[in-house]
Amino acid sequence: MKVHVQKYSAVATWKWDVAEDEVCGICRVQFDGTCPSCKYPGEDCPLLVGKCGHSFHMHCIFDWIGTESSKGLCPMCRQKFEFEES
Amino acid sequence: MLKIWHMKQKQVAADAAEGPAKRRVTAAQLRAQKDITEISLPSTMKMDFPDPDDILNFTLTIEPDEGLYRGGSFEFTFAIGSQFPHEPPKVKCKQKIYHPNIDIEGNVCLNILREDWKPVLNLNAVIVGLQYLFLEPNPLDPLNKEAAEDLKNSKDMFARNVRSSMQGGYVRSERFDDVRKR
Repeated sequence: MKVHVQKYSAVATWKWDVAEDEVCGICRVQFDGTCPSCKYPGEDCPLLVGKCGHSFHMHCIFDWIGTESSKGLCPMCRQKFEFEES
Repeated sequence: MLKIWHMKQKQVAADAAEGPAKRRVTAAQLRAQKDITEISLPSTMKMDFPDPDDILNFTLTIEPDEGLYRGGSFEFTFAIGSQFPHEPPKVKCKQKIYHPNIDIEGNVCLNILREDWKPVLNLNAVIVGLQYLFLEPNPLDPLNKEAAEDLKNSKDMFARNVRSSMQGGYVRSERFDDVRKR
């Protein structure tokens, strides 16, 4: 028997490569959700993984690093917050 | 190509048309809401929301059941600003009390409310920190320098001063509020 595929709809899901129940330490929203200033999750609201191993929504950590009191430190471990540019 | 992209763009366009005023819940409110649901208060503390629709302003009453401040009832106001959690909540003591780390205007000296604040701390951490101030007043980081000196010089005299101040009495020429638990 031969089957001719005339049409198909591809569906894909995605998630960030972090533990399922992990939340952003700054806004406490799951990583698969958005930071509070975004409406839709995804590439527009990415995660940032610091060299110290702590991850945050990019917008959340940038807000924090932008404040004077942060002194550029990771809010989890107080090491300097650095990340790999990719 | 992908339909979802098209849908998303439509959504974004619709949102732009509605304008940004539509978003009623701020980031500070979202985060405060989460923090408040996580708070587990011991029997010595309670929270009150004067305006139930405003979760950003509330009071916390601490009634220590041990330590020098036992028998007192201490009220604090919490004001969470729009920059929360990037800025700590503003916490003030409503009463005038004799304490090395709380000045007579009610300002509180607690490291995590000031220089050591970080957004991963939550309201529970602040509340635990406040409770700790009544169990272990810290003379090394004073706001009320006289009280701190008293504590450093003689714990007995400091304890007597705490007692009389809590009854609405004087310490030196300063009169304090009666904070006895009713």
